[in-house]
Amino acid sequence: MQSDVIAVNEHHSDNDTTDVFGFWLYIMTDCILFACLFATFIVLNLPGAPGPDLKNYLNLSDVLIETFLLLFSNFTFCLAVLNLYQDKFAKVQAWLAISFLLGASFVFIEVSEFIHLANEGFRWDLSGKASSFFTLVGTHGLHVSCGLLWILLMIMQLFLLKDTNAIKRRMTYLGLFWNFLDIVWIFVFTIVYLVGAI
Amino acid sequence: MLEHLLFGNLTLEAIPLHSPIIVGAGLFMVLVALAVVVLITIYGQWSYIWNEWITSVDHKKIGIMYLILSGVMLLRGFSDAILMRSQQAIAAGNNLGYLPPEHYDQIFSAHGVIMIFFVAMPMMFALLNIAVPLQIGARDVAYPYLNSLSFWLTFVGAMLCNASLVIGDFAKTGWLAYPPLAELYYSPGVGVDYFIWSLQIAGVGTLLAGINFIATIIKMRCKGMTLMRMPIFVWSALCAMILVALAFPVLTVTLALLFLDRMFGMHFFTDFAGGNIMMYINLIWVWGHPEVYILILPAFGVFSEVVATFSQKVLFGYVTMVWAIAIITFLSFVVWLHHFFTMGAGADVNAFFGVATMIIAIPTGVKVFNWLFTMYQGRIILATPMLWVTAFFTTFAIGGMTGVMMAVPPVDFQVHNSLFLVAHFHNVIIGGVLFGYFAGIIYWFPKAFGFRLDETWGKWAFAFWVLGFYVAFMPLYVLGLNGFMRRVNHYSDTMYQPYFIVAAIGAGLILIGIFLQIGQLIVSIKNRHALRDRTGDPWHGRTLEWSVSSPAPLYNFAVLPTVDSRDPFWAYKETHLAEGHVHPKDLHFQPIHLPKNTAAGFIIAMFAGITGFALIWHMWIPGVIGFLGVILTLIAKTFSTDTDYYLDAETVRRTELAHLKEAI
Amino acid sequence: MIARMRMLKSVTRWLLLLMCGFTMLCLAGCSGHVVGLLNPKGIIAHEERKLFFDTLALMLIVVLPVIVMSFTFVYHYQVSHRVKEYKPNWGHSLFLESLWWGIPCVIIVILAVLTWKKTYELDPFKKITGTDQAPMLIQVIALPWKWLFIYPQQDIATINYLMIPVGRQVEYRITTDNVPMSAFFIPQLGSQIYTMAGMRSRLHLLANQPGDYEGMNTQYNGAGFSDMHFMVHVVEPDKLQQWFTQMKKSPNRLTDAAYHKLLNPAIGVKPQFFSGVTTGLFESVIATYMNSLGTVHPRNNEGQFYLRQMNKE
Repeated sequence: MQSDVIAVNEHHSDNDTTDVFGFWLYIMTDCILFACLFATFIVLNLPGAPGPDLKNYLNLSDVLIETFLLLFSNFTFCLAVLNLYQDKFAKVQAWLAISFLLGASFVFIEVSEFIHLANEGFRWDLSGKASSFFTLVGTHGLHVSCGLLWILLMIMQLFLLKDTNAIKRRMTYLGLFWNFLDIVWIFVFTIVYLVGAI
Repeated sequence: MLEHLLFGNLTLEAIPLHSPIIVGAGLFMVLVALAVVVLITIYGQWSYIWNEWITSVDHKKIGIMYLILSGVMLLRGFSDAILMRSQQAIAAGNNLGYLPPEHYDQIFSAHGVIMIFFVAMPMMFALLNIAVPLQIGARDVAYPYLNSLSFWLTFVGAMLCNASLVIGDFAKTGWLAYPPLAELYYSPGVGVDYFIWSLQIAGVGTLLAGINFIATIIKMRCKGMTLMRMPIFVWSALCAMILVALAFPVLTVTLALLFLDRMFGMHFFTDFAGGNIMMYINLIWVWGHPEVYILILPAFGVFSEVVATFSQKVLFGYVTMVWAIAIITFLSFVVWLHHFFTMGAGADVNAFFGVATMIIAIPTGVKVFNWLFTMYQGRIILATPMLWVTAFFTTFAIGGMTGVMMAVPPVDFQVHNSLFLVAHFHNVIIGGVLFGYFAGIIYWFPKAFGFRLDETWGKWAFAFWVLGFYVAFMPLYVLGLNGFMRRVNHYSDTMYQPYFIVAAIGAGLILIGIFLQIGQLIVSIKNRHALRDRTGDPWHGRTLEWSVSSPAPLYNFAVLPTVDSRDPFWAYKETHLAEGHVHPKDLHFQPIHLPKNTAAGFIIAMFAGITGFALIWHMWIPGVIGFLGVILTLIAKTFSTDTDYYLDAETVRRTELAHLKEAI
Repeated sequence: MIARMRMLKSVTRWLLLLMCGFTMLCLAGCSGHVVGLLNPKGIIAHEERKLFFDTLALMLIVVLPVIVMSFTFVYHYQVSHRVKEYKPNWGHSLFLESLWWGIPCVIIVILAVLTWKKTYELDPFKKITGTDQAPMLIQVIALPWKWLFIYPQQDIATINYLMIPVGRQVEYRITTDNVPMSAFFIPQLGSQIYTMAGMRSRLHLLANQPGDYEGMNTQYNGAGFSDMHFMVHVVEPDKLQQWFTQMKKSPNRLTDAAYHKLLNPAIGVKPQFFSGVTTGLFESVIATYMNSLGTVHPRNNEGQFYLRQMNKE
C-alpha cells in the first residue's frame, strides 16, 4: 500500500507543475490581449486623429504616485509569499492586507482621474483617442481590481481552508498575475502617459 | 422604472411574427427542444442526464456532447444554405425571390457564424476530446473542470445564436460584422449584439480549451512518449491549440471594443470622430486567418492517422510532417492581410503578404505528398474514412490552388468578394475540414460508443456529399469570373440563372447526404449489437487508443502505458503476436485517482448566457444577477475541497477482465 | 465488394463527365455576354486575366499529378488487388522528399517573383504608364445605395451613369457618405477598391475598347447592396465632348440641398444628371467625417430616415 501513497504524492506534484504551466499559458494570452489594446491605442492616436490630446488634461504626478503604489504592493506581496513558505500564516495575511490597501489606492486614484477627465470634457465617447485611452488604462485597472478581489479571497482562504498546498499554488498564480500587471503598467505609463505628455 | 431595469428593450414585438418563414423555423426549433425535454421527463432520465452528462468532467463524455452540439447546429446552418441557394436560384431578372434583404441578410450572416463557430469548432473539439488523451496514454485532460466549462460556454453561445431566431433578429452584417455597418448608426437593432455575445462567450470557452489541451499534451504524455513519438494527430492538435491561445485573445478584444462602441458610444471603429474601420478589419483577420488553420490542422491530423491505419503502413516522413505542421502554424500569423488586399494598403504591403501566403502552399503540398506515398505500396482498405481521404485529395487540391491564385494581389483585385472567393473557401473548408472531421468521426466512433457505423449507409452518404459539393460549388467559380458577387439577394442577368439552379441542385444533393448520415446513425444504433466493437481495435490500429476497450473505460488505462517508439500499439502487436493469452493472475491493479463530477461548469455557463442576453436587451438587473452569478460560482468552486476520489482496484480489475473476456 | 468498387468507378466516371459538362458551360458563356475577368476591355483587366491563367498553369503543375496519384494509388494498392509489393515500414526517402520540397519551392519562387512584379505594376494607386495624356479625373461618392460621379474638371455630376473616353486613363478618387464601407468595381476594366468614409481611395483604369460595361459594389453594405449597379459607357473622345455639352444644359444642379436629398437611402435609383456641382463637395464630404467629434453621427438627420426605411421592409 506504500506504493499507493507514493503514487498519490507523485500525482499531486505532477499536478502542480501542470497547473502552474497552465497559468503561465493564461498569462501569455492576457499578454496578447494587452498587445491588441496597445496596438489599437497607437493606431487611434496617430498624428491627424481628431479631438483633443490627453496631454492637455494630464497630471503626471498622479501617474507617478500610482506607479509607486503598484510597485510597492508588488513588493509587499512578495513579502507575503516569503512568509507563506515559512508557514507564518498570520504574517501572510498582514502583508496581503497591506498589498490590498496599496492596490486599492491605485484603483481609487485611477478612477478619480477618469472622473476628472470626463468632467473636463475628455470623455470616452468624444473621440477615438479618448476611447482608446480609457479602454487601455481601464482594462489594466479592471485586471488590478480582479487581483484585489483575489487577494481578499486568499486572506479568507488562509482562515478557512486546511489544504496549504492548494493555498501555496494559488498564491503562486496570484503572484504571477500581480507581477504581470506591474509589467503591463510600465508599458502603460510609458506609451500612454510619457509619450503622450512629451 | 423597475420594469425598464428588468426588461430593458425587450418587448413582445421582439418576436418576429411578420415573417412566416421565421415563424415556421422558430416554431420548429422550439417544438423540437420541447419534445426532447418532454421525452426525457417521460422516461425519467433527468437524474441520469444530470449526473452522467451535464456535470461530467470526463473528456470522453464531453467529446460526445461537443459532437451532438455540432451535429444539431449543422442542421441549422445547412437550412440557411438551402434557403440561400433556393433564393438565388429563383431571384433572377424581375423576380425578387421570396426572401427580402432584411431576412436574407440575416441568413447569410447566421450561416457563416454557425458553420464556423458552432459546427466546425465543436466538431474539432469533439475529436480532440475523444482521441487526444487516449493517444498520449493519459487518464484525462490537464484540467477536467475547465474542459466542462469550455463545452458549456460553447453550448450557451450556440443557444444565444438560436435565440436570435425567435427573439429579435440576428446581425445583418456578414459573419465577421465589419464596421461601420456593425456600428450602432448603421445597425441599430439587437442583431449585432447577439453576434457579439454568442461569439464572445463561446470564444472564452475555446480559449480555455486551448490552454487545457496545450497543458495536456505538453505535460501529461505517458512515460517514453517523447514529442517525436507522439501521433501526428496529437502534433496537429498541439499546434492548433497554440494558434487558439495566440489568436482568440485578439477576437475577445475586437468583439469587446465593438461592444464598447455600441454600448458606450466609443469610437474604435466608427466612421466618424476618430474611429478606424481598418483597425477592426486588421484585428478580426489577425484572428480570422489563424482560425481557419485551427480548423484545418486537426483535419490534417486525422488524415495522417487514417491514411496510415487504412494503408496498413507507417506514415511517410513523420519528421517532415512535424516540420510542415510547425511551419504552417508559424506562417498562419503573417498572412492575414490577404483577406483585404483591396483595402488599399499599397503595393509594398500587398506584395509581402501575397508572397507570404503562397509560401504556405509548400508545407501543405509536402503533407499531401507524404500521405500519397504512405498509400504507395501499402495495402489499402477502402473503408468509409479512406473514401473521405480520397475525396479530400482532389477537392482540397483544387481549393488550395484557387487560394494561391487569389494570393496574387492583382488577381484578387478581380475576384475578391465574388462567388469565386465563396467557392474557394467552401472548397477548402468542406473538402479539407469537413471531409477530415467526417473521416475522424467514423474512425473514432467505435472508440467513443462501442460499435461501428454502418459502412453501406456511410458510403452512400459520402457519394452524395462529394457529388453534391461539386455540383453546388463548381458553378460558383464560373459565376465569380462573370462578375457575380457574394451576399447578393437578386440579380438582373437571367442568362446566368442556370448556374444558380445547378448550384441549388447541388445543395439538394448534399441535403440527401446529410439525411443519409442521419440514417446511418439510426441504422447503426439499431444494429449496434451486430456492429459491436469487441476487441477495442476495429481497424487494426497503430496508436494507443486502440489498446483499450470500446468504449474506453472511465479511467482510460488501468495501468498507464510506457512506450518506446512511434505507433506504439502497432509495435506492441508486432512483438507480442507470438504470445497467447494474458493470465488473469498476472494482472495487478491499483486504485485510480479520478476527478469528481461538478455542476460548476454548467452553472457558470448558464449565468454567462443570462448576462449576454441581458446585455443584448439592456436588461440591467438580470445582467447584474447573471454577472454576479458567474463570479460567485467561480469563487465558490475554489472553496470546494471535495473534488476527487479514488476508484478502487477491484472495480478496475472487474472492468478489465470483462473487456478481456469479450475480446477473446 | 466488387460491386461496390464498380459503383465507385461509375461515380468517378459521372464526376468526370459532370466536370466536362461544366467546362463546356463555362466556355459557352465566353462567346457573348461575359461581364468579368474573362472578357477584358481595359488594360488593367487584360493584365489581370493573363496573370490569372499564368498562375493557374503554374499551380496545375503540382495539382494535376496530385489528383492523378490520389486516384491511381488508392485504386491500385487496394487490399483486394493483392499487389505483391508491400512495404509496411518504409516511411522515408531523401530523394522523394527533396523532390516534393524542391519542385513546389521552385514553382512558388517563380510565382513570388511574378507576384512581386505585377503587384507593383498593377497597383491601383499608380498612374498607368505608357500614355502621355494627363488622366481624366472623376470623383466618386458611394451613397446609400447609389453611386455619385462628379466630373470636377467639367463641373457636372451623374447618379449611376458613367461615360468615359476610350484610350485615355481615368483617375477615380473615391469615398463614401452615409453608407457603410463599399467597393468600386468595373470588372471588365480593372481592379476593385474599397471605399470608406473620411478617406479617399484612388484607382486608375484605362478602357481600350468602346462599349457598355457593368460597374458594381462588391462589399456588402446593407439592404440595397444587390441593386448598387451602374452602367459604364466607353466612347470616343469627341462623343464624350458632345455629352459634356449636353449635360451642361441640364436644369438640375447639384446644390447642397440636392446633395442632402441624395443622402437619403433609396434602392434601384435611375440615372440622374446634374449640370453644376457645389464647389469642393468631394473634399467637404471627406472633411465632414475626418473632423467630427462626439456621439452624434454627422449624417444623423438623414440617418433617422435610414432607420425608418429599414423598419418598413
